[in-house]
Amino acid sequence: MQKFFRCVFLLTGLLVAGVVVIVSAREGQVLAGLSTGSSADYYQTLIGTITGNWQGYGELFTTLQGQWFWKIFLVIITAIPGVFLLHYLVIGAMHFDHEGEQILFFPLFTRIVHFFAAVSFSLLAITGLSMVLGAYLGGGALIRTARYVHIGAALVFVLPALVMLTMWFKDMLPRLHDIAWICMLGGYLSKKKKPVPAGKFNAGQKMYFWLATVGGVVMAYTGYIIWGMGTTALDTVRLYAIIHNGLGMAILAFYLAHVYMSVFAVAGSLHSMKTGYKPKEEVDILHSLYKYQ
Amino acid sequence: MARMKFLCDVERCIDCGGCVVACKEGNHIPVGVNRRRVVTLKEGEPGEKSISISCMHCADAPCIAVCPVDAIYQRADGIVLVNKKTCIGCGYCFMACPFGAPQFPAGNVFGARGAMDKCTFCAGGPEETFSDEEKRLYGQNRIAEGKVPLCAGMCATKALLAGDADVVADVYRERVFQRGSGANAWGWDRAYKK
Repeated sequence: MQKFFRCVFLLTGLLVAGVVVIVSAREGQVLAGLSTGSSADYYQTLIGTITGNWQGYGELFTTLQGQWFWKIFLVIITAIPGVFLLHYLVIGAMHFDHEGEQILFFPLFTRIVHFFAAVSFSLLAITGLSMVLGAYLGGGALIRTARYVHIGAALVFVLPALVMLTMWFKDMLPRLHDIAWICMLGGYLSKKKKPVPAGKFNAGQKMYFWLATVGGVVMAYTGYIIWGMGTTALDTVRLYAIIHNGLGMAILAFYLAHVYMSVFAVAGSLHSMKTGYKPKEEVDILHSLYKYQ
Repeated sequence: MARMKFLCDVERCIDCGGCVVACKEGNHIPVGVNRRRVVTLKEGEPGEKSISISCMHCADAPCIAVCPVDAIYQRADGIVLVNKKTCIGCGYCFMACPFGAPQFPAGNVFGARGAMDKCTFCAGGPEETFSDEEKRLYGQNRIAEGKVPLCAGMCATKALLAGDADVVADVYRERVFQRGSGANAWGWDRAYKK
């Protein structure tokens, strides 16, 4: 009996000692954890927790949006129309015989799709620009409305953009003769009516097409994230805002060129987007490689 | 002129959330908008520390730099304010701010963000001082009344200090001095143990 009690006593003693050793070892670890890392390190962790990686896209976005975006947009909407005005005054518009033989260039369906894309895209460009340059328009209700119209027009634009992407996909694929077209700037720098190397669409139209459709889908997605933010990581939103503005600049530049070509540079081409017919002479010169029946 | 500043003493902040509640109730902030929040590090572990954060009223504020409609401005005393009637709710200030200070109430057209709302240092807004319009849009104007912001005024442990930067710095310097010298002095471990 005495032996048994001694055994129990010894076992209990061992158990208690073991627990004490484990606990004290843990405490030692905890105390060691407290003593490592200075207060300066603590504040560094704290700032990191609060501000995240602001030095990444945060700082970049602040610099770009604060100092560059509006200036570049301003240059785009003044310099490009300025160059076109010079072109119009020096070289002038191209005139083709609209009385002669006509060729069906744009069937009704493509015209309808193009019409919706044109109206919604013009709204997108105008409202987008008015937001970029909102400080000069006074902000407030006017620009706020522009912001609402911007998302409304974007929702409308996505559908015709996707339809255009599929219906003109083959015609818009890059060809070797596009390089020649770019080198001679589409023949717009001379008054002579010399056939330029272009199929149904010339290289300029192709560049605008890919920017407006594929680029348009990128714009729609980044814009959707900027609009909603929600649960998206802030750094991603910052990056998307940079992409949205940068890509917007490129698309806007091509949009201005497209408007100038259709309204001023090639007389009557706006008309052919309404009726679908182009003069045979115009097709032979500006789209010399296009095979029509 | 005095330069207004907040300073949160992390040795004193106990994460009671009183500043957040005082701000929300006193300024009638809509649900989902937090002008002030408390961040806690090592929560539930030894060495837990908390800090109360709101708009820092930066000297060179990124939000002012990026605002496309120039709705955000800085007063001579350093307080950064927003004109809600000019703001279009684009959210760029939120993307530029390192501290997540700008807040946006939801529920407009297409679920659009409304005008930006953020800490005003309890200094109202661009509307006429003490007008109903100012109170409705921006909350109290305690600075014009000669009082400190609500959050700092109610802070139980006086961790959150607000006011003239020189005075705030003096109070904090005094505290740091009293807390310890020698091996307990702030920065000692950084200087001699690393």
